Amino acid sequence: MLLDLIPHLINGLALGLLFALLALGFMLIIGVMEVINLAHGSLFAIGAYVALAVMAPDGGLPYAFMEPYYALPAVARYLIALAVGPLVAGVVGMGLELCLRRTYGADPLYGLLLTFGAALVLEEAIRLVWGSSEYYLPIPSGISGGFIAGDLIYSTYRIYAAVFAAGMIGVLWLFLNKTPYGAVIKAGAHDSEMVRALGYNLTRLRLLVFGFGAALAGVAGIIMAPIWGIRPVVGVDAVIPAFVIIVLGGVGSFWGAVSAGIMVGLVVALTAAFLTDWSLLSMYLLLLAVVTFRARGLAGKSSVLEA
Amino acid sequence: MHDGPANDTAAPMPAEGEDAMSRISNISRRSFLQTSLLAGSAGGAALFGPWKHNRVYAAASDKPIRIGLTHDASGQFANSGQAERRGSEMAVAEFNEAGCVLGRKIETVWMDTETNPQTGTRVAERMITREDVHFLVGAVQSGTANAISQVAQKYGCIYFNTNSSSPTESGKNCHRVKFVWDGNGENFSKAAARNAIQSFGKNWFLIYNDYVWGQNTNAATKMVATNYGANVMEEVAIPVGTRDWSSVLLRIQQAKPDVVAAAVGGDDFKVMRQQVSDMKLDRKPAWINNQQDWPDIYGLGVDAAFGVFGTTWYHYLDLPGVADFVKRYQERYPTTRIDVPGNVTYNGYVATRELLRVVGEVGSTDNMKVIKALEGRVMKAEDRMQNHDAVIDADSHQIQQTIYLAQGNPKPRDESDYFEILSASDPESIRSEAGKECKLEAYADTPNYDQG
Repeated sequence: MLLDLIPHLINGLALGLLFALLALGFMLIIGVMEVINLAHGSLFAIGAYVALAVMAPDGGLPYAFMEPYYALPAVARYLIALAVGPLVAGVVGMGLELCLRRTYGADPLYGLLLTFGAALVLEEAIRLVWGSSEYYLPIPSGISGGFIAGDLIYSTYRIYAAVFAAGMIGVLWLFLNKTPYGAVIKAGAHDSEMVRALGYNLTRLRLLVFGFGAALAGVAGIIMAPIWGIRPVVGVDAVIPAFVIIVLGGVGSFWGAVSAGIMVGLVVALTAAFLTDWSLLSMYLLLLAVVTFRARGLAGKSSVLEA
Repeated sequence: MHDGPANDTAAPMPAEGEDAMSRISNISRRSFLQTSLLAGSAGGAALFGPWKHNRVYAAASDKPIRIGLTHDASGQFANSGQAERRGSEMAVAEFNEAGCVLGRKIETVWMDTETNPQTGTRVAERMITREDVHFLVGAVQSGTANAISQVAQKYGCIYFNTNSSSPTESGKNCHRVKFVWDGNGENFSKAAARNAIQSFGKNWFLIYNDYVWGQNTNAATKMVATNYGANVMEEVAIPVGTRDWSSVLLRIQQAKPDVVAAAVGGDDFKVMRQQVSDMKLDRKPAWINNQQDWPDIYGLGVDAAFGVFGTTWYHYLDLPGVADFVKRYQERYPTTRIDVPGNVTYNGYVATRELLRVVGEVGSTDNMKVIKALEGRVMKAEDRMQNHDAVIDADSHQIQQTIYLAQGNPKPRDESDYFEILSASDPESIRSEAGKECKLEAYADTPNYDQG
């Protein structure tokens, strides 16, 4: 019985790393800007759709014009997608931050409403460009298919995605903790007025952080697309777990978000295997259980983005 | 969304040289009161009398016949909803081009039912009470179809459930006004089960979407499979909206079944299939997918057609009329992403076509006349582009029809040729027993309904 559990624990860990990746951009924006970005899921979707356009000949770009480009190997197009998807999501995110500026210092509800409205607009824009059909992001053959371990077949892509997510988490941690830019972002999250007093351009800092968080959402969209598929409402599939993970981990806590993501992944994977009809509900029950006994979340005490 | 104008009744014009004000002034107070009283009494009798008619009395016989299309454009079955809408509208357009029905133009009014029973209820109410439709057509999700049909029955408005295939639709949720045009889950299970047990083995693992269609189709599959000697190892209910199937797929591998029988639909099915194919789990164990709707697979390539599955129609059936139907569809919808029609469009088309034919035959849109003409109606195989004649069960209103068993095509003739048809089951051999649970309302308990 215990041996039967091991594949599900591995699967849950992989899923958890993906959930953590999903929540990183959300965490960054809420930590520095104190804005609950409900358009996070739409930025996630933009990353996925842009990657689709870059990867697939019928993904939205004019084929006749782009034909020589689609002759490139799939690996090359995938690497381009990994660069262009987050870039576009980041630019859209920066545009959203420009709209948000009038809400700074006002009731947080305004920011919430604005990002909610932006999510609706972006979803409809996606529907206009790509329609309401479901798509799948083609991936290079090297990371697709399955592999046998023991007497079970695992998805190669899932393992790749989990390793990628772990790598992104590590890189982001290094960026925030070992570079001067990260130090400024962390300081901005602690005390933005002090950062301004020290001569840093707070307006630009917020713009860049929002763009960076949006780009992270775009990366997550590209990584999750081959698993979840791509459809206009995929943003809703993304933003809800991201929100749950942030609250569960403690708002603004880097490792809180990561550990909450892994915890949600494990709980979802185990319930999906053994109590399948509870699988969608399980993350909310986990949130309820944790928040009941620890209202600030798992690591809510430590301040924003601290290691 | 309106596709045509609402019924405008022309007001009588004043005689030449007489303006409207002068006519009004010529009416005496007494005659006005008498006329009003009479009109009020007649109206009151009609509305509150024992006849329970829902009738628009200002109707003119030359006004258009209005069909309310209740096809999804959003939610889990958005793609299929729009596919069946194309079929319904194609049938309407062909009738209009051929000279209309009873000399009357046919109009459609479409509203998005959002794959949502609450929206289905609201749309049906609005269609009947405010849009004055004569008939309702369309549904993919059984919960939505059931909701629409409850409203339709309340008013007596005939409703064609075109593509939702829960056995309950013509079983315990049947109604006098509702006709179910798709094969149901039990039909498909019967077509597949015996073959699968003989070919693949007796150990079955059942998975199903946890809502009315999935639950009832799974129950039918379980009953049929165990009747043929299958051993059901496990049954797993999958919540609607599941995007990650990895845990379930691991559990299936650990159980080592011979056959996985899946009653999973819409977007959930698409994502499940993607993950199954990606892991190369589509060959062993054998997969029986209760029904494969064309919009759920089109565009994904032949590799996406995994396992064995049922369908009511395929565009490469070697039967009279099929190629012509495909050609007409392509001429009518040259830019649609699904450029060959599939089972969902087909069901929408033949259902709407049959409705308009019957209206023409009975010479009326009166619901009782149309219902009685539909009950027990036999439809010729060559006319329906299927292998066997189909019949509308008088006791359940289920269309008993040919069910095709298919699998992915190893030798496709072109990029749209996804299916290899394995068999064409005679309707009698796969007849659904769900109708035994059907208790149609008596004619007298069904309101008369005719929008004129």
